[in-house]
Amino acid sequence: MLRLSLRTRRSLFPYLLLGPGLLWLIVFYLIPILSQGYVSLQTGNIEQGYTFNWAFHVYSDALSEYGAQFARSFGYAAVATVLCLIISFPLAYYIAFKSRHKNILLLLIVLPFFTNYLVRTIAWQTILADDGWVVHFLQNVGLLSHDGRLLATRTAVIAGITYNFLPFMALPLYVSLEKIDRRLIEAATDLYASRATAFRKVTLPLALPGIFAGSLLTFIPAVGDFINAQFLGTSRQYMIGNVIQSKFLVIADYPTAAALSFVLMFVILAAVLLYARALGTRNLQDAAI
Amino acid sequence: MPEPDRSLDLFFEQLVEGRLSRRQVLGRLGAAGLTFSSAGALLSACGGVKGTATNSASKPVTANHPKVAIKQLNFSNWPLYIDKSVLKDFEKKYPGSNVKYTEEINENDDFFGKVRQQLQRGDSLNRDIVVLTDWMAGRWVRSGWVEPIDRRNTPNVTKNLQPSLKHPKFDPNRSYTTPWQSGMTAIGYDPQKTGRKLTSIDDLWDPKFKGKVSLIADPRDSAGLVLISMGKNTATATVDDWLAAIDKIDQENKKGQIRRFTGNDYTTDLAKGNLWVSVAYSGDIFQLKADNPRLEFLIPEQGAIIWTDNMMMPQKPPHPYAAETMMNYVYDPQVAAKIAAYVDYVTPVVGAQQAMEKIDPKLVHNELIFPTQETLAKLQPYPSFSNLSDEQKIVEAMQQVTGA
Repeated sequence: MLRLSLRTRRSLFPYLLLGPGLLWLIVFYLIPILSQGYVSLQTGNIEQGYTFNWAFHVYSDALSEYGAQFARSFGYAAVATVLCLIISFPLAYYIAFKSRHKNILLLLIVLPFFTNYLVRTIAWQTILADDGWVVHFLQNVGLLSHDGRLLATRTAVIAGITYNFLPFMALPLYVSLEKIDRRLIEAATDLYASRATAFRKVTLPLALPGIFAGSLLTFIPAVGDFINAQFLGTSRQYMIGNVIQSKFLVIADYPTAAALSFVLMFVILAAVLLYARALGTRNLQDAAI
Repeated sequence: MPEPDRSLDLFFEQLVEGRLSRRQVLGRLGAAGLTFSSAGALLSACGGVKGTATNSASKPVTANHPKVAIKQLNFSNWPLYIDKSVLKDFEKKYPGSNVKYTEEINENDDFFGKVRQQLQRGDSLNRDIVVLTDWMAGRWVRSGWVEPIDRRNTPNVTKNLQPSLKHPKFDPNRSYTTPWQSGMTAIGYDPQKTGRKLTSIDDLWDPKFKGKVSLIADPRDSAGLVLISMGKNTATATVDDWLAAIDKIDQENKKGQIRRFTGNDYTTDLAKGNLWVSVAYSGDIFQLKADNPRLEFLIPEQGAIIWTDNMMMPQKPPHPYAAETMMNYVYDPQVAAKIAAYVDYVTPVVGAQQAMEKIDPKLVHNELIFPTQETLAKLQPYPSFSNLSDEQKIVEAMQQVTGA
């Protein structure tokens, strides 16, 4: 038997604790990432196979060809994230501060999640149908032209993303608002702050970690989403996720698909870092807690 | 629609009763399958194995699969593409046999992605029969990934195969492939919405239908139809002809004429009235008519596309004789009629129409299952390109138009 001194054992212990997580990350994250990086630098075709030859031009080709879809992904995701924030903040605020039925309201937010993502999205096809009541109503009040439609438009795609990711924004917001010590707000009002000033100087800054976490949880998956564009939009609304999906599964152009995935990852990473910089890294830690 | 939720209910109802065709199920739940299967494709993409393509179509083909007792048969097919009682009957007819029937093929490309590395390494797929569409079957034949069929074991096929299907370009003597079912790609529409009978492929571009038209994203279907409307033949058209057809689609798309490019998922929109005119598969419209009898399937005056899904043995099949016996079995007109009555596509078996009298007399004169000789003469096959780069040029040009 291996005999280790107490000190050695003590110093090895943290690694033992890290072990399972580390193994998981290596097998399911690091290895796939590396192999995709390897694939992204290959050229060839599906029949003869692809060969690795440091083909960095795959990246520039992919970027120049699918710039529009990239721009669309980030645009749609950004608009949807802002919409989620505008809708969720009053909602979370109400539940955290005013409601007596917190559990029921929280359940109602989570309830749609009991249904499959796809089924939820396909249900919107029915709601927004050309002969449906939503379209008829909007046409009657003049918000939509007589031959206008909702389905297969940009509006439908952004609305779909907003709807599908709303809980990701609402729940972290609720948690951070709930955590706020009410006495701080009382103290502010005692010191002659108006309700608005107390909100601006106390509540909002303390809710920042929630806003930060909620925005990330909404924005990151929304950028890569392809279900909403596929079911509620048309090819003119396709996002980068649709391109990657079809490159992998339909045209079997693995290098381009892998390259696009990497570019997407790096751009999201850069965006998140900028965002963290703007809001302060302390919020990142707070959000993690 | 008065009851907005009905379509989903109906869908599950049909799913339970097994009334949906495979293409419908794929269309409606397709994306779910995609996300699962994408894992497989991703994994298979990781290796980057070099191919070993050989052109075996030019070599003389000999196959010798002596008669043996039939024990096991591994049969991979598309979902809902057979009346399962046919398999039980087969097992009864050949005592001791056991058919392992797997509904694992959801998309040609997707399935190919899953097995590509095994094929390129020269490994057996451990499957005896796979069913793939013409162009993918052609790719397998061209690359030598298929086992030749010993035609001495399939006399029914020799006797009953539709003459028009006997000599496809990708397998001129049917040495490697046996048609499973065929289908037509043409135009499905709702006459009440369009307000008139349609007659021509060019009706897709009627400005009155702006934003109510869908095309199938696969250029073999959509560009194929447009090509026919331009007076070309899909079998002889050049790459430039195809690009011209795709260009026409691009122009119409930019005008806003086309609402969406679809996979098989146009069916819900067509049934709900979001789409008025769709490039559609015959079997889908047949099924949709059960819910919405108004829908029409138009085989335009200029012609339409016929495609075929083919049974074939992937390289090194474990039970070739059993596979051939199965191919022979489903070419018995009685069996073929039973399958056709279930799947609602065009059967390639001569004699199935007569046999249908006993199974479902209503279907005997259904043009969608048994097209007349006159209709058959108007149908043109999927293109069969002699090399991959031509094929990819066209697929990529279409991707540019559809935006993905």
